[in-house]
Amino acid sequence: MFKIIARMWQVNWALQWQYRANLLMYVLYGLVSPVVFLSVWRSVAAAQGQVAGLTVNDFTVYYLALLIIENLTGEISIWVLAYKVQDGTLSGELLLPVHPVLTNTLMNNLANKALTFVVLLPVWGLLYLLFRPDFSSITAASLLLTIPAVLLGFLINFLLGAMITCASFWTTQVYSLSEFLFGFQLLLGGIFVPLTLLPAVAQKIAFVLPFHLFLYFPVQLVLGRLTPEQILWNFALQGLWLLLTALGFRWIWSAGLKRYSAVGA
Amino acid sequence: MHALKLILAFLKINIQQVLAYRADAALSLVMNLIWLGWELISLQIIFNNTSSLSGWSMGDLLALLGVWRLANFLMSSLIWPNTNRFNQAVRTGSFDYDLLQPVSSQFLVTFSRITIWRMWELLIASLLIVVGVGMAGRTVTAGGLLTFLALVLSGMMVLYSLWIVLIAFTFWFVKFDNNVTILQALMDAGRYPANIYPPWLRFVITFIIPIAVATTVPLQGLRGDLAVGQTVGFVGVGVVCLFLSSRVWKAGVRRYSSASS
Repeated sequence: MFKIIARMWQVNWALQWQYRANLLMYVLYGLVSPVVFLSVWRSVAAAQGQVAGLTVNDFTVYYLALLIIENLTGEISIWVLAYKVQDGTLSGELLLPVHPVLTNTLMNNLANKALTFVVLLPVWGLLYLLFRPDFSSITAASLLLTIPAVLLGFLINFLLGAMITCASFWTTQVYSLSEFLFGFQLLLGGIFVPLTLLPAVAQKIAFVLPFHLFLYFPVQLVLGRLTPEQILWNFALQGLWLLLTALGFRWIWSAGLKRYSAVGA
Repeated sequence: MHALKLILAFLKINIQQVLAYRADAALSLVMNLIWLGWELISLQIIFNNTSSLSGWSMGDLLALLGVWRLANFLMSSLIWPNTNRFNQAVRTGSFDYDLLQPVSSQFLVTFSRITIWRMWELLIASLLIVVGVGMAGRTVTAGGLLTFLALVLSGMMVLYSLWIVLIAFTFWFVKFDNNVTILQALMDAGRYPANIYPPWLRFVITFIIPIAVATTVPLQGLRGDLAVGQTVGFVGVGVVCLFLSSRVWKAGVRRYSSASS
């Protein structure tokens, strides 16, 4: 099994290198929204001293940490899998004695992540110099705790993305579906604004849904802004959502395969 | 007159194409409305926490959103569909046929695809502008309105010119098929007034990828924040950009050597 995974990694790593110029574009693309939102809140916080208790520096460290976390927990399954369902190239992968999503698609995600991370670092460094944030609230403990949170968060996001992609067994409109979900991530995951600034009702909804588990939660965790109870609660919630998404993916994948008939068959 | 006839012919073809994909069109209409909802909610959240964003009120930002959607309409109805067609034509070599037509290649590349059903986005954009200006309680003079229209037009001209230059780069760097992504990415920055950004970012969206010229500037004109000289200057920049971009395009076409040759 390990040999298979290692080989899949090699293949996907090489594949990703083909598109290195495009990757740079996507990294820059991903930077714009957080920097725009950061600018909005910085300008509000600067004008009135603070927003709901958050200072200019609080917003800056939040969005700069978010850029890294977003990269670490992000996933691109829909772009590497949905077209295979639609044009039938999935058939070849189904003949392999391993699960195509849990090996090939997963490795493709990881290879993409590794390479975009390398591209992101210098750009992030530049932003660091431009914004001069004060990251003194990060401790060794908060960094260590963030590692499992990021790992679990990525798995939840990956399984969610894989589930959405499986909808392509039924419809050709999966991209709109994923765009729809992305809107939720922006608002309820903590990309547009740190969740504590949302109206009370929206906060309640956001803290139950899985989106904050791979965005807001790891960011707050690494910045050392959560109480031990909150940390425990969110880890428990991550466990629960991991279970739910794993079961959901298992079900939708097998149901989808029964529906699947490659183009031309 | 001849150009108008051609555009009408393109429109007809495009309508026929859309009719083949009705569900797609309906769905993207729904998605667009959902994004409008998202934009309104995010403005509401901002103004729950403050009463003014660097001197811009909620009404001002609504109007700005309307102007931004005008620019975005240019992107979605003309620039994106034609970019896709152009990139494919250069990759496969079918761009040769465009060059053989007895009409300017830039004209063909600009108007071959028009996503006409997106017209309704113009309606939403205008509505946002009217409601926003009303909410902000500003009196609009005839001069202000004229300035606004002139600045919207020149802003569009600047964006369009930039697009022509970006896709003309494909003639020099064939693999550059991500040419418009950078423009689309920075579009998001146009939703908010340029003066909230740190100086370096303001510089980028004003001079390098001048989104602000098509969004913040026209609204400043409408509010009467700009002197006459500035307005004339911006319109002049639009015309100069248009001229320069067509020069770049022509130089690019001369470099073009078709696929496989």
